[in-house]
Amino acid sequence: MENSSDDYRIQALDQDTQTLLKTALKDPSSVNLEKVSNIIMDQSLKDQVFSKEAGRICYTIVQAEAKQSNGSAFRRNLLNRLQQEFKDREETRERSLQEWVCYVTFICNVFDYLKVNNMPMVALVHPVFDCLMRLAQPDALMNEEEVDCLVLQLHRIGEQLEKMNVQRMDELFFLLRDGFLLQEGLTSMARLLLLEILEFRAGGWLLSGTAHKYYYSEIAD
Amino acid sequence: MSDWKRENRHEADDREHGNRSHSASRWSHCRKRGVDGSLRTKRDTENSEKGHNNYKPDNRHDSFTTPEGAGPVSRCGRQTDWGSQVEEEEQLRKNVHRDMQRYRRRILGGDATQRERRASSGSSESCDSREGDNIETDEEVLLRRQKQINYGKNTLAYDRYIKEVPKHMRQPGVHPKTPNKFRKYSRRSWDQQIKLWKVKLHAWDPPAEEGGPEKTLEDRDELGLDDVMDIELDFPSLPNTQNVPVLLSTNNPSLEDDDCMGTPVKLQKTETPAAPDMS
Repeated sequence: MENSSDDYRIQALDQDTQTLLKTALKDPSSVNLEKVSNIIMDQSLKDQVFSKEAGRICYTIVQAEAKQSNGSAFRRNLLNRLQQEFKDREETRERSLQEWVCYVTFICNVFDYLKVNNMPMVALVHPVFDCLMRLAQPDALMNEEEVDCLVLQLHRIGEQLEKMNVQRMDELFFLLRDGFLLQEGLTSMARLLLLEILEFRAGGWLLSGTAHKYYYSEIAD
Repeated sequence: MSDWKRENRHEADDREHGNRSHSASRWSHCRKRGVDGSLRTKRDTENSEKGHNNYKPDNRHDSFTTPEGAGPVSRCGRQTDWGSQVEEEEQLRKNVHRDMQRYRRRILGGDATQRERRASSGSSESCDSREGDNIETDEEVLLRRQKQINYGKNTLAYDRYIKEVPKHMRQPGVHPKTPNKFRKYSRRSWDQQIKLWKVKLHAWDPPAEEGGPEKTLEDRDELGLDDVMDIELDFPSLPNTQNVPVLLSTNNPSLEDDDCMGTPVKLQKTETPAAPDMS
């Protein structure tokens, strides 16, 4: 099932790349893993759907490489590439909101999937917070694309992130409350997303039944 | 995840191009109450003092650059690239895991063999064998402690110390003894033990010009005591009187007491409740 889902994501790539990725998943030592990590990074920046699931592909390759040769070249390359993009994130955002949103989605997905001894990678905690803090700035809250990305990431990894650093999560939520309450010109959609995430965290990263009904009942209608 | 968001995205997108101010009407048909109902009209004046620096739109460069690197960074690793950082972390976790298994094995080894081994190996941790269940198993705590220990060991003073004083020559209360990361201590007690340990290690700092590490044991003790007093100032709530006598009894035969040296907090907090279990 996992493989079929991976396959599905890979369909978006050209034939050679598909072959390369599939080989990387099965026999990582036979391919250039730096190239593979770059392909995954580049594709993630272009393709939002891919960026949401690429973490799992990365996870599979990391596992395969560790099992096969006890190595971690892929992870090293991937993380260093992520770091490189992180340094340029403000330029990325200026250049293309979509690419920026894809980047945040991807780094959060990697944070979610790749673990060290079942614990999140400490090296990514501050960078991920930095990205989310950026999305919570007033100018970013004006873009629903960014707000949507922000709340989606918090839904997925908020609880883990909070465990790693409560203080920074508190800071982030100060910004979110301010944005929700004070910022002029927010669309009501953005406000709604913010309110939901505020309630979500306040409920211990769970929505109460009634809150869920409030936010999601439209589907039934 | 949230289908309705997607459902309504196009609706919201429309508004992007239109009037951005409170046009709740489009929402109100499907919401149970108007969004504007909760908004404050006087928000600017009312909340100006509450605002963050980040809240000035023109100031955003400050706000998104400051968090970077502001957090605690591992002091042991000098690597700055994420790949290496994660590898170091992985190694550290593996080591902690391995140490824990060794420690458990040693504890389960039984008392009789334990005493022999204690005499022969003089291992810095073996004196805590009486603890069966009193082991710290929280990996995060162990990791944090290991980092602190590594920081102390990653010094010239430590290298000189282990070279000059072989294990079997080390005397409890006289020589620095690495705190046992596997025993349950309060955070405060542990940090205090680390501090004292590092203070003692400083006696082996490389010689500045003359003098050097060839001090007598008495000198070392005095230095230790002075520094302990300095540290006590950081913990004003700790009663001084309790600390001093323990420290002075350097030839205390009981290894457990040695372990308590300089950690009155542990005496009060951890030991007392644990005692009934032991007896």
